Amino acid sequence: MAFDVDQLMLDMKAAATGVLNTDVSTFRGFSERQVEAIAKQSEFVAVGISTGQITPETKDFFLDSIEDMTLSFVKTLRGLIMVTIEKVWNAVVGVIWKAISSATGLVLPVPVAPAAPAAPADNA
Amino acid sequence: MRRAFQLWQKIFLLQLLLLVGCATQLAPTYDKNVVDGLNSTSIDAMTLFASMSSGSKAQDFGTRADRYASLIGRLDALALAAGARPLPKNKVTDSINRFLEKRGATALSDDDATPPSTHAIQQIAVTFSKMRDIDQKQGVTAYEVLAFKGQASIYFDQAITYENFLQR
Repeated sequence: MAFDVDQLMLDMKAAATGVLNTDVSTFRGFSERQVEAIAKQSEFVAVGISTGQITPETKDFFLDSIEDMTLSFVKTLRGLIMVTIEKVWNAVVGVIWKAISSATGLVLPVPVAPAAPAAPADNA
Repeated sequence: MRRAFQLWQKIFLLQLLLLVGCATQLAPTYDKNVVDGLNSTSIDAMTLFASMSSGSKAQDFGTRADRYASLIGRLDALALAAGARPLPKNKVTDSINRFLEKRGATALSDDDATPPSTHAIQQIAVTFSKMRDIDQKQGVTAYEVLAFKGQASIYFDQAITYENFLQR
């Protein structure tokens, strides 16, 4: 059977777009929620410190936490993106493998990469 | 002409096979127990905040001690469960990093071997530990309760969004 490259390209694009369209709305929603919440928390803490409603015992804790939660937001967003990259990659691999199977007339299971052992964490 | 075209197709197929590699896993597997645990601790957390909405006095800390202990204990256990799924390191992650570096973008560093939700859950536990300590020492003002609630909510959103997203 002839290999239809044009059709494969359309199928690859459709597979990628299908995943991205769904996931982008999750990213956007999460980002908007987090950015608004962190901004409001920052303002709330600043006002609380200036009016004395946040006591000296908790002042530094809240200020340090704002820095941490911002970095944590970025790392969570990165984590979400990695999940999406995985889904797009696997969807495209699946489409390519199906095209090759059709062209060759063989039923080829999609191969899975053996995971290398995770690098040991070197934090103290 | 036809033979040249068929040969070109075979070369393209072979290149595809080499480039495509394999299916991969770039994130931990979905764990429904972690998701359920997060939902139930979030309900208990918000209930505790609601019960302290007008602030608290150190003298009656004893009536709240058990609720703090239960929440913090469950959050610590959840953090362990969430972190027990290491992120797989494989050729695809390295390939993505090399691809990004070539184009001048910062590579996704491998410094974190644990999921981002683990850190978020740990920080929720830290938030409640701090609130408990202040409550026991001097009581918590109504304003501080709201600040603790805002902080916990942000971290809960991070952990719950990430863990739900792992269902793929």
